[in-house]
Amino acid sequence: MGWSFKDPLATLSDDETTEKNKKLWERELLGGLTEDNNPVPVPVVWLVLLTVITAFLVTFPLWGQRPTAELFLPYVQAMQNPEVMNAKNDDEAMKAIEKIVSQDPNANHALLERHPVSMDDLRMIGPQIEALKAHNEHLGDYTVVGPNVVIANFEGNYRPDGSRIRQQPWWDKGYTIDLFYLSYFFLAVFLMIKRLPPTTWQPRHGHVED
Amino acid sequence: MFKYLLAKNEDIPHGASAVYWGFSAIVWFVIGTGLGSFNAAKLAFPDFVTGYEFLAFGHMRQVHVHAVIFGWISMAFGMAMMYITPALGNTRLWSEKLGLWNAFLWNIGLSLGLVVLWAGMTSGREYSDFPWFIDLYIITFMVVPLGVNVWMTIINRRTQGIYTTNWFFGAATFMLAIVFTVGNLPEFFHLTGLTEAYLTWWFAHNVLGLWITPVAAAIAYYTIPKVTGNPLYSHRIGHLHFWSVVVFYSTPAAHHLMSAPLPEWLKSFASVEGVLILVPAIAFVSNILLTMQGKWNMFVENIEVRFTVTGCLMAIPLNMQGGFQQTRAINWYIHGTGWIVAHAHLALLGFSTFLEAAAVYLGLQSMMRRKLYSLTLANIHFWLLLIGFTTYWVSMTIAGLIQGAGKIYEVPYIDVVIAEHPYMIARWIGGTLVFVGNCFWLYNMWMTARAGTEVPQGRMPHELAYER
Repeated sequence: MGWSFKDPLATLSDDETTEKNKKLWERELLGGLTEDNNPVPVPVVWLVLLTVITAFLVTFPLWGQRPTAELFLPYVQAMQNPEVMNAKNDDEAMKAIEKIVSQDPNANHALLERHPVSMDDLRMIGPQIEALKAHNEHLGDYTVVGPNVVIANFEGNYRPDGSRIRQQPWWDKGYTIDLFYLSYFFLAVFLMIKRLPPTTWQPRHGHVED
Repeated sequence: MFKYLLAKNEDIPHGASAVYWGFSAIVWFVIGTGLGSFNAAKLAFPDFVTGYEFLAFGHMRQVHVHAVIFGWISMAFGMAMMYITPALGNTRLWSEKLGLWNAFLWNIGLSLGLVVLWAGMTSGREYSDFPWFIDLYIITFMVVPLGVNVWMTIINRRTQGIYTTNWFFGAATFMLAIVFTVGNLPEFFHLTGLTEAYLTWWFAHNVLGLWITPVAAAIAYYTIPKVTGNPLYSHRIGHLHFWSVVVFYSTPAAHHLMSAPLPEWLKSFASVEGVLILVPAIAFVSNILLTMQGKWNMFVENIEVRFTVTGCLMAIPLNMQGGFQQTRAINWYIHGTGWIVAHAHLALLGFSTFLEAAAVYLGLQSMMRRKLYSLTLANIHFWLLLIGFTTYWVSMTIAGLIQGAGKIYEVPYIDVVIAEHPYMIARWIGGTLVFVGNCFWLYNMWMTARAGTEVPQGRMPHELAYER
């Protein structure tokens, strides 16, 4: 059971162990069944890596979340702009708001595009968002559900001021544990398969040396 | 078969217990799918058989689920273990007598459990519906003896190495004992609330992930090389498959409760692991399909290979669904809909059933040393199973998407019920086709035992030509 680190990508076993394994592999018929020593095919390796990357990307809580009060604050603030207040109708007012907000570097344009609202919506949620802002509430902790602005259904860590974070982080300790799991999985499988004879060798099944 | 229960172990013919397990499995499959067809009829035609409490859907659904999981699937697994484990170790089963008693007590325990469920005595927890005294019986007289027989056979093998299939058999029987005991703790200690919900889905997740999925795959690792005569393509991919099942499937299972007030980090952890079940799936499918190289004609000509490869191919949509449907972005839409019912049937009636059916076909012929009575009946069985299952799966998937849309857009419930009615009828037709196919199968295997051509010593059943 000797180890060798001369060529770890080929095998981690020393020559004596490799020879012993080869003989056993060729001699032994497991109920008439045999196994080949083919490498894990390259497309399979790529698929596994793609799966790992996808597993993280697709589970980050960035999708499917409700919009926050913070997201619509630039819209609500723009409602007080004279251009908006003097608009002939709601359509013009909304266009004016979108034009003003489009020049605001702090607005989250990508999310606003995915959560379109009308002037009627803004008339309902606007006063609620302004009231929260007047009380110095963390607007990101409030979600907009239809005509209502409500505290988000998520309980995170406490801030120094005693309030609780109610925004789902894009990374949490669950993902850190996943990294730990993946690390030891890949390490264990690597060690396991690299202890076998190198893939350049294929067994001649049923072959018994004198 | 019963006469061997009191015989000495050395007087019991080799393979007797496998035959007992195998026929029990088929009978439970007929019963389980018959109950499924009955239940589906109640959903398609609401006035069908009303007025009897014990025939109400709420009672019958649990009986159907447990007859299929513990009767058909688990007894087919037991059958496979009784003949494959010793074969791969070039030895005999450690105890044929224990195997026979195990199957006998399995049938008694399951019958008792189903009667109890029928009577309305239930834990009320999906997939672990049995009350505590049935759970204790299952652990003591069903799960542990099976594990002991498998482990002792592996320990007493006459080979130095252990073939891939036996890694899975050994690990799965060990893990099942743990999963069943821990998963039923709410029943033993009256745990309630979120703890109960969490352990309920930990059990449901792992009974699929650490019992049904790995054992079904292990069977394919035996069937394909055995029947085709090809070596397993890669021992290394076997390692990748085995360890990825152990690592990624055994995790918290919180992704079954994405809408529950569990810690979000636990859901994040479980959700990533949920997608990673694609790793064992990729390994399994690639290894089996590459083993088929040069023998693809057998996919058409050989019934065991056809069942196995079809089941193997079903692992692709199964794991694509399973991997992604639990993520936050998708789960909010399909959770609690018929989509999940369709997915569960893809796992149990599609993927695993096709692999087990191959093992039972091959095992019964090998152990009884009788050639299959009728290839025509076997073909009818295959096509009824495939068409019936596909009809069921597609119709329930569509019904699930309708329910999801109805849920999100707050469509009145009765409108959703009306919209999905045609799919409920299709579901019943599909399920009934499966039931009819299984009746053909039971007859075919019964006739194989009574009138199948004798297979000479040293030959495999599939090497002989069919006579009918």
